Amino acid sequence: MHDSLRTTPYWRSLAAIVLTLGSLPAWAHVEQGVAGGLVSGLLHPVMGPDHLVAMVAVGLWGAQLGAPAIWLLPVVFPVVMALGGLFGVAGVPLPFIEFGIALSALLLGLAVAARFRANLVVMAVLVGLFAIFHGHAHGTELPQSANAMAFGVGFVISTGLLHLAGILIGLLVRWPVGSAVVRACGAGIAAIGLYYLSAASGLA
Amino acid sequence: MLRNRPIRRWHAALVPIALLASTPAHAHLVSTRFGEFYAGLLHPLTTLSHVVPWVALGLLAAVQGIRGARWNLLAFPLAVAIGVLLGSWLPGFDAGLQWGNIASIVLLGALLATAVALPMPAFLGLSVLFGLSHGYTNVVSELEGRALLLYTTGVACAGYLLVALLGAGALVVVRQNWGLVAVRALGSWILAAGVIFAGFSLLGQPGA
Repeated sequence: MHDSLRTTPYWRSLAAIVLTLGSLPAWAHVEQGVAGGLVSGLLHPVMGPDHLVAMVAVGLWGAQLGAPAIWLLPVVFPVVMALGGLFGVAGVPLPFIEFGIALSALLLGLAVAARFRANLVVMAVLVGLFAIFHGHAHGTELPQSANAMAFGVGFVISTGLLHLAGILIGLLVRWPVGSAVVRACGAGIAAIGLYYLSAASGLA
Repeated sequence: MLRNRPIRRWHAALVPIALLASTPAHAHLVSTRFGEFYAGLLHPLTTLSHVVPWVALGLLAAVQGIRGARWNLLAFPLAVAIGVLLGSWLPGFDAGLQWGNIASIVLLGALLATAVALPMPAFLGLSVLFGLSHGYTNVVSELEGRALLLYTTGVACAGYLLVALLGAGALVVVRQNWGLVAVRALGSWILAAGVIFAGFSLLGQPGA
C-alpha cells in the first residue's frame, strides 16, 4: 500500500512529461516560411533510408580510415552536396538519381565492410561524386513556399549530424570487437543499398 | 515517506518546463512591443541570413588568433552601426547589398572550412565590409532621432555579443586537437548552406 502511494505520483508526472513532449503543435502549413524551411530541411535527409545509411557510411568510413579522412570526407561532402543541390534548383537534369543514391549506399557500405583504403584524393572525389546525387535530390525537392536559407541550414545540419553519428559509431574501431561491429554496420548498409538499387532498377 | 517528497516535487516541476518548451517562438511579434533597442537586438539574431554569417565571422576571428579576435570586437560592431545609420539616411541599396550578405555566407564559410590565416588588414577589411553590408540591410522601418539611435545600438550589440561570445568560446576550443576540426566542419556546413541559399536566390526562389 505504501509502495503504491509512493510510486503513483512519480509515474503520473512522468507520463505527463512524456505526453507533453509528444504533443506537437499543429503545422497546417508545414512547408512555409522559416519554420517550414527548417523543418523540411531537417527532415529531408532522414526520410529516405537509402540516403540516411549512405550518410552514416561516410562517417563510418572516415572514422575507420582515421585522420585526415575522418574530417576531410565529412567536410567535402556538404560542400559538394550543395553544388549538386544547385543543379537540382537550376533544373539541370541528372540521370539515374535514385540509382546513384542507392549505388552510393551500396559502395560506401562495401568500403566500410571491406575496410577499403585508397588514395585520399581518390576517396574524396568518390565521396564528392556521390554527394552530387544526394544534393540534387535535396535541390529539386525544396517546397516552393519555404524559406530557402532555412531549408539549406536544415538539411546541412541534418546531414552533418548523420556524418557525426557515423563517426561516433566508428570510434568503436579502437577495439577489435568494435572494429568487427563497424564492418558489420557497413555490410548492413551495403545490403540496404542493394535493396534500393534493385528497387530503382525495377527488380524488387 | 518524507524522504521521497522532494523527489516528487522535482518531477512535478518538470511538467511546466516541458509545457513551456513546447510553445512556438514568436520572436518577431515580441520584438515589435519591447522598444527599439530590443527590436534592433533581435532583428539580426532572428534572421538566419544574418545570424549564420555572423556566427562564421566570430569563429573565423578565433581562427585568426587572439589579436585578430580582439580587433574584430571593435571593428565589426562599429561597422554594423555605421551600416544601420547609412541604411536609414541613404536608403535604396538594399537589393544590391543582399548579395553582399549572401557572398558573406559563402566566403566566410569557405575561409572557415579551410581555416585560412589571413593577413590582419585583409581579415579586418572583410569584417568591416560585411559589417556595413549587414548593418545596412538590417534597417526595417523609418526611424529617426532617439529611436534610430536605440535601434542602431541594438543591432550593434547583437553583433558584438555574437562575435565576442563565439570568438572567446572558439579561441578555447581551437586549442584542442579536435577543436579546429570541429570549427572547420562547421565552416563547411555554413559554406554549403550559403551555396544553396545563393543558388535559390539567383534562380528566383523565395528567400529570407
